[in-house]
Amino acid sequence: MYLLVLFLPLLSAIISGFFGRKIGTKGAGVLTSSCITVSAIISCCIFYETTLNSSATYIKLWRWFDFELLTTPMGLQFDSLTSAMLVVITSVSALVHIYSTGYMSGDPHIPRFMSYLSFFTFLMVVLVTSDNYIQLFIGWEGVGLCSYLLINFWFTRIKANKAAIKAMLINRVGDIGLVLAMLMIFKEFGTLEFLTIDSLLGLNPRGENITIICLLLFLGAVGKSAQLGLHTWLPDAMEGPTPVSALIHAATMVTAGVFLIIRSGPLFEGSPLALTVVTICGALTAFFAATTGAVQNDLKKVIAYSTCSQLGYMVMACGISNYSTSLFHLINHGFFKALLFLSAGSVIHAVSDEQDMRKMGGLIKSIPLTYVLILIGSLSLAGFPYLTGFYSKDLILELTYDKYYIAFAFWLGSLSALLTAYYSMRLVYLTFIIETNSKREVFLGAHEPGLSITVPLVLLALGSIFVGYLAKEVALSNVIPPIVLGSIKIIPLALTLVGVDAAFKRGRLPVPPQLSGSFLGTKPKGGLSVYFYQSVYTFFNSAWQFNYVINHFIVKNIWKFGHLITYRVIDRGLLEIMGPRGVSRVLIKLTQKFSNLQSGLVFNYALIMIVFTTLFIYTGCQPH
Amino acid sequence: MYYEYLTIGIILFILGVLGIVLNRSNLIIMLMSIELMLLAISFSMTLFSVIIDSLIGQIFTIMVLTVAAAESAIGLAILVAYYRVRGSIAVKSLNLLRG
Repeated sequence: MYLLVLFLPLLSAIISGFFGRKIGTKGAGVLTSSCITVSAIISCCIFYETTLNSSATYIKLWRWFDFELLTTPMGLQFDSLTSAMLVVITSVSALVHIYSTGYMSGDPHIPRFMSYLSFFTFLMVVLVTSDNYIQLFIGWEGVGLCSYLLINFWFTRIKANKAAIKAMLINRVGDIGLVLAMLMIFKEFGTLEFLTIDSLLGLNPRGENITIICLLLFLGAVGKSAQLGLHTWLPDAMEGPTPVSALIHAATMVTAGVFLIIRSGPLFEGSPLALTVVTICGALTAFFAATTGAVQNDLKKVIAYSTCSQLGYMVMACGISNYSTSLFHLINHGFFKALLFLSAGSVIHAVSDEQDMRKMGGLIKSIPLTYVLILIGSLSLAGFPYLTGFYSKDLILELTYDKYYIAFAFWLGSLSALLTAYYSMRLVYLTFIIETNSKREVFLGAHEPGLSITVPLVLLALGSIFVGYLAKEVALSNVIPPIVLGSIKIIPLALTLVGVDAAFKRGRLPVPPQLSGSFLGTKPKGGLSVYFYQSVYTFFNSAWQFNYVINHFIVKNIWKFGHLITYRVIDRGLLEIMGPRGVSRVLIKLTQKFSNLQSGLVFNYALIMIVFTTLFIYTGCQPH
Repeated sequence: MYYEYLTIGIILFILGVLGIVLNRSNLIIMLMSIELMLLAISFSMTLFSVIIDSLIGQIFTIMVLTVAAAESAIGLAILVAYYRVRGSIAVKSLNLLRG
């Protein structure tokens, strides 16, 4: 049963990928969905056995690396962390599979799509179930590869290609961190298995090495979990189909970074410096993504930035050593973010593939069910009391406040909570409530999607409502709620309500005419305040100019370096001259000179012969 | 006591060498220079056979003379054949084979 959860997705990926032509579109959909559903049921059983009955399971499969010092067998480890992740991954993935059969219907390459989705799920399961870093790295790279394939699913679109390459490359920056961390771990501990490392930590290894290991591991997590600095791939990855965004960027792939931190928690505990860095980076990411998400106009990008923001929360929670809270938020986030993405897909489906929120509006009458679902998702995301998001998000903020030395993170997190509420409500408001801005035929053609789309959505909505409450006792059994003042406790909730209020107020009060120009991109007529407003808006809308700065100062320079130095100076320059071309040129010149010695004139030959005979005799006569 | 005669042999040999190297016009002079070199060698050998009181030098001298005669005969024959083909025996015109 424990192996089945791993191999069912692999089996469905192989069958759907290689025999997609045989089993057809419908067959691929049904097969992969049922395989992953069975896998989800099995992972629920695993959750029951390993977490609720607290009997962690370890399976050694076969010997893989077996050198003198490095012995790393293939092995699976099912503890409470793994099983919790498994439940989220497989259940969200199963729902996404079912959803995709409806959402992607009409696409000519459904078997391929389903195969990629299943393969992605398989690799993610490999990632979470591994009992050592190398096997984790297989899953880690594998989900990167699958994200490439899935973002690039419509490979005829140049933007999708670019986004996929960007995702792959930026992830690779983090992967280097993980590889280096693995090397350091091997150097420090002589093993790569989690259990051995955890037990060796009691021997008080050198602190600075642990710090380096943790910072490198965190670099890996930064790449995969889209933390500040390496986050730019996440919004671009929205080029893929919506179910892909839901799977990759809500429940599975981006959570791998947080999972890595949680899994390496014992290591991180040995390094206060690394924990501080983690907290600050997480808090900054949460704040950054929240400000950016608040002014995005693309429906999917708003959700993408909210993912980034929530990942910031999780990393922040890890940084204050509250790994179980972070995991709890991860689980909850998986449900409500998948719900948000998939309902956004439903909206996009309804308005004939329009993603710009400014061209929507008034959809509450045509797709009320989607409205209800997206409202549940948004409220849950905003941390509305008694919905899923509330249980983990408020707790994270309280715990951050409890750590007095990084109160900074608390205030950034609270501000992000305000902005989260603002942009999720803004999304609902612009899409569903205000007067419509879409074309007449699009608006009239808007309709509820079919059953295969609504059923997963409803299930996810139930998850978004109840999972937080149900899993609270299990996930937070060892978390002691901090003692904070009532006024502090109320702050996030109050800020959330302010955010919701602001989102609706902006609708009731029309934008002042002198400000409206800044939305349309025309030159503002107003004074300095309008200019200020416009520049701030542009700054946030372009994601703090991160793409510009990175492209301009890093990517462009590396490209230039690559072309000018490595290509022109070294490859085509030095190496050519000292290598084939230069040598051949010198040799040809030399041989020509030598062959010119044979002038064809007899007396010259005689002279040469005599000169050399004389030299020969002369050297022969020298005393040795 | 006969060592001063060795100078004659060496001078003759060098004259022969110079005759080949410095001569740029006539092929017959070249052949004559080769003969001169052979003669210088033969002279030196007879001289040494007297000095070391051994007959083998004189035997070699006779053989060298024989070889020289044969060599000059063949050389002159080649020269004549060459002259028949080219119509000139200038050394400078011998440069058909270049490196």
